[in-house]
Amino acid sequence: MRAEYPASIRIVRVPCTGKVDIVFILKTLESGVDGIYIVGCEEGNCHFMVGNIRARKRIVKAKKILETIGLEPERIEMFNLSAGDGVKFVNIAKEMTERILKLGPSSIPRNAVIMEDIEEAI
Amino acid sequence: MMIDVIINGKKIKAEEGLTILQVAIKSGITIPTLCYHPVLEAQGACRLCTVKIVQGKRDRFVTSCNFPITDGLEVFTETGDVMMARKTIIELLLARCPDVEILRGLAEKYGIKEPRFKIGNDRCILCGLCVRVCEERIGRSAITMIDRGMDMKVGTPFKIHADACIACGACISVCPTDAIKIEDITGRRPMPIPSEFNEGLNSRHPIYLPYPQAVPNTPAIDRNYCVYLNSGQCKMCQDVCEAGAIDYTQVDEVVEIEVGSIILAPGFDTFDPKMKSEFGYGNIQNVITSLEFERILSASGPFSGEIMRPSDKKHPRKVAWIQCVGSRDISCNRDYCSSVCCMYATKEAVIAKEHDGNIEPTIFFMDIRAFGKGFDTYYERAISQYGVRYVRSMVSGLYERPANRNVIVAYINEEGKKTEEEFDMVVLSVGIGPSKKGIDLCGRLGIELNRHNFCKTTTFEPLTTSREGIFLSGSFQTPKDIPETVTQGSGAAAYAGSIISSARGELIEEQSYPDEKDTSAEEVRIGVFVCHCGINIAGVVDVKAVRDYAKTLPGVAYADNCLYTCSQDNQKKMIGLIEEHNLNRVVTAACSPRTHEPLFRETIREAGLNKYLYEMANIRDQCSWVHMNEKGKATEKAKDLVRMAVANARLLAPLQEITLEVNHSALVIGGGNAGMTAALKLGDMGYDVTLIEKESELGGNLRHVFYTIHGDDVQAYLEDLIRKTESHPRVTVIKNAEIDNVEGYKGNFTTSLIVGAGLRSVKIEHGIAIVATGADEARPAEYLYGENSSVLTQMELEKMIMGDVTAVKAMKEIVMIQCVGSRNEERPYCSRICCSHAVKNALKLKEINPAMKIYVLYRDIRTYGLYEEYYTKAREKGVIFIRYDLSEKPVVSMKDGRLTVSAADPVLKTRFDFRPDLLILSSAVIPKENEIMAGLLKINRSEDNFYLEAHMKLRPVDFSTEGVFVAGMAHLPKLIEETISQSAAAAARAAIILSKDKLVAESVIARVNPELCAVCLTCVRACPFGVPVINEESTAEINPVLCQGCGTCVSECPGKAIVLQHYRDEQILAKSKNSIGVN
Amino acid sequence: MVIGEGKPIEEILSMISDKKKLLVVGCKGCVTVCSAGGKKEVEVLSSTIRLARAKDNNPIEIKEETLERQCDTEYLVLMRGYINNYDAVLSLACGAGVQYCAEMYKSKIILPAINTNFVGVTEKQGIWTERCQTCGNCILDRTGGICPITRCAKSLLNGPCGGSSLGKCEIHKDISCGWQLIYDRLKELGLTDAYEEIIPLKDWSTSRDGGLRRIVREDLTL
Repeated sequence: MRAEYPASIRIVRVPCTGKVDIVFILKTLESGVDGIYIVGCEEGNCHFMVGNIRARKRIVKAKKILETIGLEPERIEMFNLSAGDGVKFVNIAKEMTERILKLGPSSIPRNAVIMEDIEEAI
Repeated sequence: MMIDVIINGKKIKAEEGLTILQVAIKSGITIPTLCYHPVLEAQGACRLCTVKIVQGKRDRFVTSCNFPITDGLEVFTETGDVMMARKTIIELLLARCPDVEILRGLAEKYGIKEPRFKIGNDRCILCGLCVRVCEERIGRSAITMIDRGMDMKVGTPFKIHADACIACGACISVCPTDAIKIEDITGRRPMPIPSEFNEGLNSRHPIYLPYPQAVPNTPAIDRNYCVYLNSGQCKMCQDVCEAGAIDYTQVDEVVEIEVGSIILAPGFDTFDPKMKSEFGYGNIQNVITSLEFERILSASGPFSGEIMRPSDKKHPRKVAWIQCVGSRDISCNRDYCSSVCCMYATKEAVIAKEHDGNIEPTIFFMDIRAFGKGFDTYYERAISQYGVRYVRSMVSGLYERPANRNVIVAYINEEGKKTEEEFDMVVLSVGIGPSKKGIDLCGRLGIELNRHNFCKTTTFEPLTTSREGIFLSGSFQTPKDIPETVTQGSGAAAYAGSIISSARGELIEEQSYPDEKDTSAEEVRIGVFVCHCGINIAGVVDVKAVRDYAKTLPGVAYADNCLYTCSQDNQKKMIGLIEEHNLNRVVTAACSPRTHEPLFRETIREAGLNKYLYEMANIRDQCSWVHMNEKGKATEKAKDLVRMAVANARLLAPLQEITLEVNHSALVIGGGNAGMTAALKLGDMGYDVTLIEKESELGGNLRHVFYTIHGDDVQAYLEDLIRKTESHPRVTVIKNAEIDNVEGYKGNFTTSLIVGAGLRSVKIEHGIAIVATGADEARPAEYLYGENSSVLTQMELEKMIMGDVTAVKAMKEIVMIQCVGSRNEERPYCSRICCSHAVKNALKLKEINPAMKIYVLYRDIRTYGLYEEYYTKAREKGVIFIRYDLSEKPVVSMKDGRLTVSAADPVLKTRFDFRPDLLILSSAVIPKENEIMAGLLKINRSEDNFYLEAHMKLRPVDFSTEGVFVAGMAHLPKLIEETISQSAAAAARAAIILSKDKLVAESVIARVNPELCAVCLTCVRACPFGVPVINEESTAEINPVLCQGCGTCVSECPGKAIVLQHYRDEQILAKSKNSIGVN
Repeated sequence: MVIGEGKPIEEILSMISDKKKLLVVGCKGCVTVCSAGGKKEVEVLSSTIRLARAKDNNPIEIKEETLERQCDTEYLVLMRGYINNYDAVLSLACGAGVQYCAEMYKSKIILPAINTNFVGVTEKQGIWTERCQTCGNCILDRTGGICPITRCAKSLLNGPCGGSSLGKCEIHKDISCGWQLIYDRLKELGLTDAYEEIIPLKDWSTSRDGGLRRIVREDLTL
């Protein structure tokens, strides 16, 4: 449907939101992104049965961690939508962008050393 | 010939003969235009595309749309003076047409607040596009520029309606300012093409995708509306399509295919509610069908999922659903139940409420038929959680209140009182009938239909048509919901597959590939292919800049652009480039892996690379398509996406697909109707089957069923079924067998049995298992059952009828109570078969003794589908149905030594006392003890303790544990014919595995690093599929064949001992960290 | 096994407020199994600390490591090559591991990142409960396999006391009376006679308040 949404969003594909580790959230925040949101299937409709429910619990935990260290927990969020629901996808993108714009840039300095960790991993 | 031009200081190579604008568009440089259209001759009418060119020492302003490039031409598109010039042009145009949105947008962009010139009130900017398209493309010249000077305007010759106009709308479609009114040009009225997918609630284009999920997902030209195919003019689409994909010469062809069997699945048509004029459909705008409402609810529907009523697009508050429109209605020849409407109406009401909390849904119904798995719980939740109001009633008509376009529902309530209620919108729950196309097809094929025009089938052959070799599935047999339809689809495949099993595998062609290169020791050399996708990407993203950026990234050995990366010749080129540059990773910056990953994986495999050494950056769906008005940002994002993909590509590792041998024999557990049917179907398809039964004889529940509602002889069928089973050369029957242990997995199971009184132990190796263990009729715990010998269950009654007819004949009065032990707190589910069971037995009793008084005390009569006929027939024969509420159940007692049933009728508000000779309890169907079996086979059970399938709608006979399937009442109470369909379906699903020589496991699977494993059991507990186990080496182990690759265990593991191949943590982190750009 | 849980992050942050280089060390033993101090928790904690410090413009350098166990010197010694590059060690091991680490690296500041709670079991994924108070003198043979030292709030040897009501302990409505559990279990086993027997005074010298406990197995010492 090609509905427009803010160009500030970068998508990282995972096989299931059940694969989203709390460590991904924290380490990605360390690199200085302003917000992260996880988009999973509707609850009860996970192709892998429970992945999205596991992800939601981890997001709750990650939010708590951010709160304790004084980072805005609103910078991370979990959403559910069905694959056919482009309208909702766009609404989520807009909502999240607005939310981040209101919060302003992350207090974590940007840390764009391209491919820093990869050298190690290779 | 290619020549050089310099646009904004950037050297660009371009084909001689192009205009400046064309070159700019191809290079992703934006120049605003109004009168430009890619397939019409440029005229430079609006002047908006003005740019500055430098030739020698001189510079001047030209319109870029019609100025051809010359070698060395230097162009500036956004200098201050150019912008000033454009600003003046826009100012003049805006003064002439102050209300035109596109001009206001431009004015804002160019910083114009109020034009300095005299303000007019026109919409037309005299760009002439409409005149040009009508002349050049449509060939009608119906409109032209008329009058002169200040009065010039677009119009028809002599300012009268033009005969030449064919009302094609081309002029409207090209007009940038929406200035054309067709009624000024012609007296003909163009009719919008109603969108079939959206039930005509909105319109579509003549070139269209039938629906978003259409396969193939390519647009089609509707030949009924195409101007070219009807008049020989236009052909605009052919010129616009850069891929050259438009071919007007394609025509329908007759293709002959030789086949061994045929499956019909022509589906249903919904009832046309215009046939019931009392509902006013077609006259009252705010009366719509349930299918229309379904589209309104859909995010891809006409209102993008917002709930609006048609008359004024306002959000309705009170919405009513009218049930049984064109169902259970003799007046329109539809004296059957459509089976699905109660649940879809409930679903629509619930979703409507979820979309818009202000909606107050009301459902007008006769009986709520929530007989499917989990349906009754859903229905109860609709009431308690969503506040859906159910009104038991007969709706007599609908009429409109003209003042507010609301709809008045006139109905007779349960007390028999005429009542009226006003709603903002009314949804007609239209019934379903055999599709017209299906009826025509069956006529041509000589296939018999029943009196409703559904395909004629029998109880014991529900998937077989009257013509040999032709089978059928779906709602063309009887109305049915998704799970039953999917089940029948698989079931029909089993039938069709059986008769042609000898030819299986003959048409398979093996694909051969070159040997895979070992790239493990090589340094990373990535090739990045940045796709233009015609103008899909290149029109928005500066693809050359993206390519140049890709070249700077570490690990990238080669980067270039492709016009269409996925085109066949480009695939060949890619293979050559991979070899030439010794590439060992490939990234395409193009479209979606959803559609194109398999293709590119195949390509690199053909180049000798492991197919997992491929990664995609989706710079189309995730970038150019969705940021088309932010070109600069889109290009930056495309670079980021490429950087992320390259970061991941550097970490990609080749993965080997694991194959394993398949044992081609089957184990069927349970020797009832389901088990025997499944075993026979598998045997007929050519697989060896072991059928095990824990009792000493085959037959299961069927042994206690003697006749069906249609009058079939069940015992004769059973005898035949047992004979066929026991004599089938491929079926081995083991009776008195209990399962002791099950080991292994899909393709390779070993099951240990304990057989007979001697407790002999038997081991069976098999590739799949079908669980067909059945269910039982519950022994009621109420209504004096077991205390009084005149209180029987339906099955006991049936036995009595078959045993002692004279005793039965002497009975004067019989009372039946429905839902005994079903639909209550203990068992919230509906047992599905008891209503037809009661009607069946009531009819039988009436046949034996027509004078017998029979009272059926019920909550909802659920004789779904064609069984409705028998409910009608029972009432005709004098069986009296009296409803009761769960809050006031019948009371059974002994009074003066006689059995007394006292029932409160909520309709008549009185109590009835009966003194029946027999009280028959329609007792619940309950699952057998199945906890141990569920544990052995690692299969799930629902809250009601029936076995739980992998997906209630789409995978109705599979378990989430692969290689194990379910059939019959072990899954859910069901009628004989439903069990037969489902058993065949289980056999067909099982045959998918059994037919393979080898199973290839997904490579995207989780693996445990034993060194890091703390044997904490977290993965064992967390895996939704029960795959990880602790092995003999005391470490967690994940069977690669069974792993579904979701990665849940990876993210749970406290020791970080598990990796998901192809999505390793460092890969995902590399991508997400690289999402941040340097700028 | 030993069950622990992560300390509040604020507490950890204040412990390390003046540190610039930190070694965060997990343990692959019990604390991995109870998700308090394994490799995963090391990553989560380190990342959290880095975020907290980066936010305050006071970045910290962290090395993440997870040892096989921290209660054996052979594993602890593996840190000797790099431990001195760091201002302090934040250990996610149980109290024993933290102390043993401190004993080996006398000049290093060793800080605990988790609280060591009890010896217990995994009740369900994510839920752990106590079962043993390490009294050093087991009487489970007499109490139907249910420990009164742990399960009875008063650690009574002959219970229940007057505070047992409807199977619950007076200290909280959700805590079962240990002695009710013992009685029910004995009844199930048909051993109510054993319940009648008085358990004599217990030798508590093996328990916690007798100073550092020590076990020497002569057959095993080298």
